[in-house]
Amino acid sequence: MVESKQQWKAWLYLAPAIVLLLVFTVWPIINTVAMAFMEDYSGLAKIGGETAFGFGVGNFVKVAENAEFQQALTNTILLCLITVPVSTILALLIAVALNAIKPLQKVLQTIFFLPYVTNSIAIGMVFAAMFNVIGSVGTRRPLISSYGIVNDIIRFFGGNWVNWINSGSDYWANMFVLIVYIVWNALPFKILILLGGLTSINKQYYEAAKVDSTPRWRVLTKITVPLLSPMLAYVVITGFIGGFKEYTSIVGIFGESMGPVHDAHRLNTMVGLIYDSLASNNQGRASAAALILFGIILVVTLINLWVSKKRVHY
Amino acid sequence: MSQNTMQVMHARDMQKTSGKQKVTKFLSQAGVYLFLLIMAAIVLFPFYWMIISSLKSLAEYRLSPPTFWPAQVLISNYADAFTTASLGVLFKNTMIVGIVSTLLSLVITIFTAFAFARLEFKGKELLFAALLATMMIPGELFTITNFATVTNLGWRNTYTVLIVPFLVSVFYIYLLRQNFLQIPNELYLAAKVDGTSDLKYLWKVMVPLALPTLISITILKMMGAWNSYIWPRLVANDEAHRLITNGLRNAFTDTTGDVNYPVQMAAVALVSAPLFLVFVFLRKYIMSGVSRSGIKG
Amino acid sequence: MKIVLQNLTKIFPSRNKKSNEEVVAVNNFNFEIPDGKLIGLLGPSGCGKSTTLYMISGLQKPSSGKIFFGDDDVTELSTENRGIGLVFQNYALYPHLTVKQNIMFPLQNLKGKDKLDKDAMLKRTEEAARLVQIDQLLDRKPSELSGGQQQRVAIARALVKMPRVLLLDEPLSNLDARLRLQTREEIRRIQKETGITTVFVTHDQEEAMSISDMIVVMKTGIVQQIGKPQDVYDDPANLFVAKFLGTPPINVFNGHVKGGTLYIGSDAVMDIQTVPDQEVMVGIRPEGFVLSENGPLKCKPVNVEVMGRDVSIVSTHEASANPFVRSIINADNKVDVSSDFVRYDIKPHKIFIFNKETEERIYFEVK
Repeated sequence: MVESKQQWKAWLYLAPAIVLLLVFTVWPIINTVAMAFMEDYSGLAKIGGETAFGFGVGNFVKVAENAEFQQALTNTILLCLITVPVSTILALLIAVALNAIKPLQKVLQTIFFLPYVTNSIAIGMVFAAMFNVIGSVGTRRPLISSYGIVNDIIRFFGGNWVNWINSGSDYWANMFVLIVYIVWNALPFKILILLGGLTSINKQYYEAAKVDSTPRWRVLTKITVPLLSPMLAYVVITGFIGGFKEYTSIVGIFGESMGPVHDAHRLNTMVGLIYDSLASNNQGRASAAALILFGIILVVTLINLWVSKKRVHY
Repeated sequence: MSQNTMQVMHARDMQKTSGKQKVTKFLSQAGVYLFLLIMAAIVLFPFYWMIISSLKSLAEYRLSPPTFWPAQVLISNYADAFTTASLGVLFKNTMIVGIVSTLLSLVITIFTAFAFARLEFKGKELLFAALLATMMIPGELFTITNFATVTNLGWRNTYTVLIVPFLVSVFYIYLLRQNFLQIPNELYLAAKVDGTSDLKYLWKVMVPLALPTLISITILKMMGAWNSYIWPRLVANDEAHRLITNGLRNAFTDTTGDVNYPVQMAAVALVSAPLFLVFVFLRKYIMSGVSRSGIKG
Repeated sequence: MKIVLQNLTKIFPSRNKKSNEEVVAVNNFNFEIPDGKLIGLLGPSGCGKSTTLYMISGLQKPSSGKIFFGDDDVTELSTENRGIGLVFQNYALYPHLTVKQNIMFPLQNLKGKDKLDKDAMLKRTEEAARLVQIDQLLDRKPSELSGGQQQRVAIARALVKMPRVLLLDEPLSNLDARLRLQTREEIRRIQKETGITTVFVTHDQEEAMSISDMIVVMKTGIVQQIGKPQDVYDDPANLFVAKFLGTPPINVFNGHVKGGTLYIGSDAVMDIQTVPDQEVMVGIRPEGFVLSENGPLKCKPVNVEVMGRDVSIVSTHEASANPFVRSIINADNKVDVSSDFVRYDIKPHKIFIFNKETEERIYFEVK
């Protein structure tokens, strides 16, 4: 490093970033924390928000007691707990399989990455089309003109069609569709990271295992997974963080009503709730919900780090 | 003699097992391919369904059992989609926001990363640690206050509001700083000896050497503009400034029930196409950028 | 252009945050480098030789003291304005530029009256390339060149702007042995041809001795001795310099002076009347031994290594500070390894004695 007395020069280079960060990152942190504790407050006095307020944990209480919040929290946690393990295991299997082949490897790798370069709203609409049933669904005697391709496939194999996302559909049918879509969306990143990790594992471990004639599943569980554990920990942590912020996948499939026609908002998530509070000009409650979300993400990340510290081999 | 027989037997045994091994190996390899091909088919199916549906007539789409290739290819769906969603305006808005915000963001990121990688100033380590710490915080937490800030600034329904608040990405600064640090310090010293100013060294040596990272950042930033939904919906959801994703969602509010899916799928295909084109030509940069980032857009 | 270093001192703050101990990298360096000479800065790693070079370049600022180029005080001048050429240990070529663009790079930075047009730049670039004999490689990228070729490009880049001073930081350490020999002669040739005052840093004493007009031996920031290579070798100022120069290294013994006689162990090797009685360290160059039937120094032979023209006798001695005593003698001498002793006479100008505590040279007269 060259010794320079011109410190101001460095600050000149930093100035644009620092100004923007102060306004759009640092100030929001302070303000959001403050607003969360300001009761009956709206930051938008200009457009008719309340300006009188008191201090307290009222926002947190209101948020926590709110049935919609409880529903959103349940939805978010259920989606996280199901999609993260499912997508991680599937991604692991695909990555290991990809790592074991030579011909077609590049082509397949590209195919598995494709869902990443999509617009989650747009492709959500495709998933909706695939699960949608056309006809008078949800009535006593449904009159169906088209079951949708997924139901057609089920019927082809002799199963009964399911009302996935239409009016009168079951909560768990909705959840199933969401899980399929979210897993489909989450696979590419996980495969990419895990395959990257696999290719960097020293081939000698596998040769040593071959010399000891170790069976395949044992190689997978006793060699590959432990050696891959840092990457696995990474995809699980980022998976949970992403999962707690799930929102656009649901908008893609169900639209902004966040649920089937007969029961809108029943599939709302934490992030959706924050924006609803914001849209209804309730900054305090939005702030409290955002802080709760931050707290949950922080706790989950710390737990993950703690577990992986005990489990990650290195 | 006896030793000889043993050797022969041993050789025959080996042959037998290696033959058996070959069969097992072939079977397991075939199993691996079968698994991968089935998974690939599942991954690809939505894309296939989007494309064939976008080419069908509404009547054909409603057929049960469905057709797996349109009996009558209807390109006109695409024209309908283009006008229904006024995709032209949306494309234009998104490109303006994407290009301007990418360019500005690159300049800011380069300057900031350079200062952190190569210049000496008091409190450098502390400031950098503080920047990294902000990455932990979910963006929603910022959005709430930023929504108030831009409203008070009178920026609602402008291009500014879509560009300025997201110009600084701590992650891109981090990524580029790491790349800059890999460039040996001797090059900087050599440039000093050669009489080069800091600024000239940055543009003539560091930027060309960090080009792959800069390309990755550019693509991710453009994809971000293309896919952004929440912030634009909050602050600039008027006709004049609406971005592509919001436009798509607004034009086709119904996802379930009796929807004109062929036109809707044509619109979805049109919105997805640029992303695929970018992916086809710049796959390397996207995949390397993503593997280091773990963020979408 | 002569270079004058005046009380040059560099103090680094301690790396360890807990202690406030400062590191004196260069301590009060005074030297006038004559115009047009090649100077080797020599010493073990951490001796302050690179810091000195970087201070001359302006990349580091001295804590105190002054630097002059000719009569100009350049102490406060920044690197860009000093008009120096510097070749780095790992060459520091710009990897994305071709050889030609690399060499031309400094010329493109010239400003004001020094500014060159495109043709002049190209001409100068080609001249520099020819000087270091890489004119056929101009369109390659650095990654396509061998280490030796990269080194030449780095030298060409340093020379192209016709610097007042050329500085080389360990220029040969990244090359293999054969190339090192070849390149150091090349550096000598280029320096002679251009007549630029050149300072180069190395930890390899053989390298420094072979091409320098003068060498500066440094240790822990302090200059130990300055002089022509042969003079420093023949007349070391202290035990460190004596040990640092020469391959194989000098043999060191514990000895004492008593009644005007120098003893190594119990062997009375020499009469030195002028030195008072004391414990001393004795250094004998390997070539300072002469086989002699009645020689005063008795060593137990271990092994004889044949080196062609010479042989090297490896032996032990009770008072030796090292495990073995190594002498180099003419191969005509026959040595019997199985015998109990070899006896040596010592050439008086190849033996040095040093104060036991300060390790400073004690000069004596041979009777």
